[in-house]
Amino acid sequence: MQPDPLSSESALLQIVGASVNYNKVSAVRNLNMKIPHGGIVTIIGANGAGKTTTLRAISGLSKLSGGEIRFDGGRIDNLNPEQVVARGIAHVPEGRRVFPDMTVEENLRTGAFLRRDQEAIESDLSAVFGRFPRLEERRSQLAKTMSGGEQQMLAIGRALMAKPRLLLLDEPSMGLAPVIVEEMGRIVVEISREGVPVVLVEQNAELALGLADYAYVLETGNLVLEGPAKELHENDHVRRAYLGL
Amino acid sequence: MLELLAQTALNATYAASYIALVAVGLVLIFGVMGVVNFAHGELYMLGAYAVVALYADAGFPFFLAAAVGLIFVGIVGIGMERTLFRPLRDNPLGGLVASIGFLLILQSLASVWFGVRMEHIPPSTQQILRFSDSVSLPVQRLYVIVGAVILLTALWLFLKRSRFGWALRASAQDPEAAALQGISINQTARIAMFIGAGLAGVAGALTAPLVRTFPYMGHSVIVTAFIVIIVGGVGSLEGAVLAAVIYAFVHTFVTTFFDGVIADIVGLSLMLLVLIVKPTGMFGTADRA
Ligand SMILES: Nc1ncnc2c1ncn2[C@@H]1O[C@H](COP(=O)(O)OP(=O)(O)OP(=O)(O)O)[C@@H](O)[C@H]1O
Ligand SMILES: [Mg+2]
Repeated sequence: MQPDPLSSESALLQIVGASVNYNKVSAVRNLNMKIPHGGIVTIIGANGAGKTTTLRAISGLSKLSGGEIRFDGGRIDNLNPEQVVARGIAHVPEGRRVFPDMTVEENLRTGAFLRRDQEAIESDLSAVFGRFPRLEERRSQLAKTMSGGEQQMLAIGRALMAKPRLLLLDEPSMGLAPVIVEEMGRIVVEISREGVPVVLVEQNAELALGLADYAYVLETGNLVLEGPAKELHENDHVRRAYLGL
Repeated sequence: MLELLAQTALNATYAASYIALVAVGLVLIFGVMGVVNFAHGELYMLGAYAVVALYADAGFPFFLAAAVGLIFVGIVGIGMERTLFRPLRDNPLGGLVASIGFLLILQSLASVWFGVRMEHIPPSTQQILRFSDSVSLPVQRLYVIVGAVILLTALWLFLKRSRFGWALRASAQDPEAAALQGISINQTARIAMFIGAGLAGVAGALTAPLVRTFPYMGHSVIVTAFIVIIVGGVGSLEGAVLAAVIYAFVHTFVTTFFDGVIADIVGLSLMLLVLIVKPTGMFGTADRA
């Protein structure tokens, strides 16, 4: 029997030859990626490169037109978003997408919708409040009345409440002041050090390559480069196209 | 004069109660599924026929018949979700058209089963609360008021306190983000449809002894409900309740002191006024829910 090239034990998440179309228009083509059991992997690329589409495909919001996605050995590309969440993948979508007319605390608890371990939920809530003290101060405030940075913290906190085994972050730095971006970076590193692998999608390549261990570069739906983040940071093409150097 | 005002206020409270039950269901369905359910008035009609059939014809107790009306119409709602709205989820206009088709089917079925004559059924109670010589409230109307208060309070608690209530609100505010929390839109749509249809059904059931039941009775109810939710703000449950109260008071007072046609005109003008001053309604935001 042939060894199955897809059942490689080394990766937590594996994308194999994946393509996504929106109404016949191709958004990403023949994508191959491996996300290991720990650390931060970043996907960088310009507007419309297909970064968001890639995350949406992982979490089941967009269907593949070809290829497959495996998580922890099992295929997930045919699952609904709620089934993907149940497998342990939490997705902080582009634009935060907090529930505007729910309070901070309701937003966070909604992140734990599929969990029944009441005591662990309470302690995770305290942990999120410990990580983001602003959220605790504002726990009964409606999410729509929060600042952009606070909403981003809330979106990340909500994802952590699912107790994920893999965290997908789509442009967490978008629209935030430099100090807040820095804080966000620290938090992402902290989360991954605590044992949750992170896929970080960013347009801010400087930030992303500084935080990540490994990087993929997408251009108009194609994977054009990959490698350890430090190496890509020195890569001529990356420096010219993404770092403005 | 004071007595006439008090009596009119009681009448308005009764009207506000069943209008709120119908309108809140309509808003809930729109909020979670993004569909304008034109068949909502016919769900009200089905609830009324449940009481005609079970209480007036078969002799079961009134409240049992009303409870069956709620549950039966709620189940019809689940069926509508599964067969009409789910396949058309990405097509709100299709959902609207399908609900119009379903409305015609329900009207035809009701005509075939029950005939087109108006059913006048005996009240389940003759008792009248007398506050003075000319201020009184028939207990049959009190049932509608108390029923609406209990059910709307229960709905509010469900939405604010329960896990599935939160899921419903989350789905209404951002279906995709809700899916990313593990909330199944099929499940929240089913719950919203059961509650929304069930509230319309129970409104019809509780008012059946007070109105004439006939296959086309849903028309006037849904027109009123539409005005109410536009005044209240299309996505707001609280807005729907408050607008139901405002509309019922304005309409009942104008009917009493002028006449019903003028009241309809004033009601529509109220809607136009709100649309001009605040197009999203008193409590509405631009989003659904
Ligand atoms: N819902 C959609 N319908 C049609 N086309 C879409 C849709 N979403 C994305 N696309 C197209 O797919 C391509 C990839 O978009 P995607 O959102 O994945 O890019 P991105 O890398 O996340 O860009 P950005 O940095 O601007 O967020 C683009 O050409 C975009 O126009
Ligand atoms: Mg994007």
